[in-house]
Amino acid sequence: MFKKLIIDFAFYLQTSKSYQARKHFYENLLNNNKYRYKKYLDILMISLIFISVAVLIREVKHPIHDYLFYFNSYVISIVFLIEYLFRFWIHSSVSKIIVERAEHDSFLAHEVNLYKAFKKIVIVKLSYIFSLTAIIDILAVMPFFHELRLLRLFILFRVFKLFRYANSFQTLASVLASKKFEFFTLGIFASVVIFVSSVLIYVMEANNPASPVKTMFEAVYWSIVTISTVGYGDVVPITHEGRVVALVVIIAGIAVLAFTTSLVVSAFTEKIDEIKEIKTIEDITKLKNVYLICGYEDLAQDVAKKLKKHGSSIIVLDSDLQKISTAKNDGFTALQYDPGETESYKKLHLSMEKQVKAILCLHENDVANVYTALTVRSLSKEVHILSLLMENSNRKKLEYAGINKLIYPQELIGLITKELVGQPVAFEVVHELRSESSNVNITEILITQRILETYALVSELNNKDFRVVLLGVYKKNREHFYFNAMGETLLEAGDFLLVIGYKVFIKEFEQYLHTRIHDE
Amino acid sequence: MSDTTALIFGYNNYSIEMLKNVEHEYDKVKIYSLYEKDLKTEGYSIGHFDLSDNWQEMEDDIDIKKSVAFCVLEEMDKNVFLVISLRSTYENLSIIAVASHKEDANKLLMAGANKVIPLVETTADIITNMLENPISNDILHEILYEKSALKIAQIKIGKESHFKDEELSSIDWSHYNGIIVLSIMHKDMKSEFIYSSKAKRHVVQEDDVLVVVGFDQDIKDFEKRIGSNRYVNWNHWGW
Repeated sequence: MFKKLIIDFAFYLQTSKSYQARKHFYENLLNNNKYRYKKYLDILMISLIFISVAVLIREVKHPIHDYLFYFNSYVISIVFLIEYLFRFWIHSSVSKIIVERAEHDSFLAHEVNLYKAFKKIVIVKLSYIFSLTAIIDILAVMPFFHELRLLRLFILFRVFKLFRYANSFQTLASVLASKKFEFFTLGIFASVVIFVSSVLIYVMEANNPASPVKTMFEAVYWSIVTISTVGYGDVVPITHEGRVVALVVIIAGIAVLAFTTSLVVSAFTEKIDEIKEIKTIEDITKLKNVYLICGYEDLAQDVAKKLKKHGSSIIVLDSDLQKISTAKNDGFTALQYDPGETESYKKLHLSMEKQVKAILCLHENDVANVYTALTVRSLSKEVHILSLLMENSNRKKLEYAGINKLIYPQELIGLITKELVGQPVAFEVVHELRSESSNVNITEILITQRILETYALVSELNNKDFRVVLLGVYKKNREHFYFNAMGETLLEAGDFLLVIGYKVFIKEFEQYLHTRIHDE
Repeated sequence: MSDTTALIFGYNNYSIEMLKNVEHEYDKVKIYSLYEKDLKTEGYSIGHFDLSDNWQEMEDDIDIKKSVAFCVLEEMDKNVFLVISLRSTYENLSIIAVASHKEDANKLLMAGANKVIPLVETTADIITNMLENPISNDILHEILYEKSALKIAQIKIGKESHFKDEELSSIDWSHYNGIIVLSIMHKDMKSEFIYSSKAKRHVVQEDDVLVVVGFDQDIKDFEKRIGSNRYVNWNHWGW
């Protein structure tokens, strides 16, 4: 009966959407660095740690207020305890282990053995309790028992909690961990040298009344101070034999120091690209309205630079390292990922629908563009894809791959030539309007509710005062462009004004429209 | 139209697209290739040329004074050489060249091309506009390239035009409903935006060119009212 209740409850928790959602929320909040609210918890915890240490330092020589004392001993400790319990909870799922065991035993037509499930739960939970980070967490709660003076020093363990909240510490730890074997070897070597030299110096000096080395502890202290090349000078050998030992330890110390330095440097050198990549991906997850440029050849370089001038966020993907370094030199976020692989987009942790404005397949090769487009389409049916078309015979293939807009430069050149031959001045004017480098531009101004509150009619806009030509009004709801719109045309929210003028005057005009009160 | 022969140098995708778009504008269109293998291509009549200064064979076939040359060789160094070769032989020939980059475009201009289309920059501008200003891009595209009722036209101020000798700033354009004047072009200045300080002080003279946007009928009415005609010669680049 009791067993059945436990199993039913475990199934209930496993299938409960609200329970799982809550658990997922706390998992994100405590462990997921990409979760947007985690940074607030991190800041809160780091602040509590520093307050705690500041109080400890202050109370060494000065009396502190009671409320500060209670805040430090109780409030902070309770916050840390709650955090510890939450971490204990989310570390592993008890209900999942029971459900898995129940399903396993039922499948084999056995009676459900809850003992095995509980055994696994205990092992899993104990593995958490005895993990280094959990030990630090529980020691940080100890100052709660402040009556025991020694336990108050456990406040210092709170500082170690910083490792959890500051990403750079974690990066440092991961870098050093990559050289675990080398550091282990070095540690063994240093330990052997310290042990042997301590015993030797003790044997050589301890019986000499003039020697400061009288105990084994002093011998070990001398060895460590010497091997680390610190050499305080408070404990020094005075016998010839002791000095010979000192010479060996000094030489060994230089070797240990040099080896340690080179290990740290090489660990960072090897990991620097990886660290940068992690940082880049972290930054990417925060971006909005991103243009993802696949392939960084000549045209892509120019497009990226022009889009950047518009203030757009750009990410460049290319499998060619040289092109990626060119993109980085041009000031773009660039990653050496193959745009034709699904994994590349997964690594970016980008939401195609929410964050990506368009994917630009700008390889000067139709095969690569089709491959990239199909990869993107397999991940998102919605995202807008624009692609370069190099051979007109491949047009259908690219359209079939799900590309929304194809750019065929040869066709553009044909059209441009036609216009150039027929109406060169008019062409030049339109080309200037489109060109990024020109001072006179055509711009779309969105009519917002705020603008509408002051300007309801086209005649009220006063664009001529700003030396701005109003080419017309685009009504988005009707998808129609009203050229040279009449003065009495009613403006609506969502409409676009198409204006032509000098950039600076258009900007002034736009600011004027957004200012609610104007001097008459 | 004074130019009646289009000479397209280079046989490639660009020249085919050019041919499609300009063949109705000229009496004759000739394609020339550097490579003899292209001469056998079905569907097109392709002539051969080399980069020596011997243009006699070509001259026999066409009137060079009434021709426009389109230089679209894919190898940019050869394209520059072709332009300089044509310019050194025919001082008044109108030459339009395609360049891959701005750097090549400058070389082609220095070599004597009247107009250069920098391929990468132009395509990049179009892509950027398509993405960042989709509405204006569609409308400009429609005005320029599609058969839309809305047109862009260049109107030359004639002897009889009543705008002649008037200061541009004193003209009230609102009298000409349905028309938006974008810019003016004078012999000694580039196309100037209508609200630029230079254009505002400008006194309209004979042969000035106005660039206007409007519906076809409104443009025709405008032409009638101001006593000027639509202007379709592109030789102003020689100015």
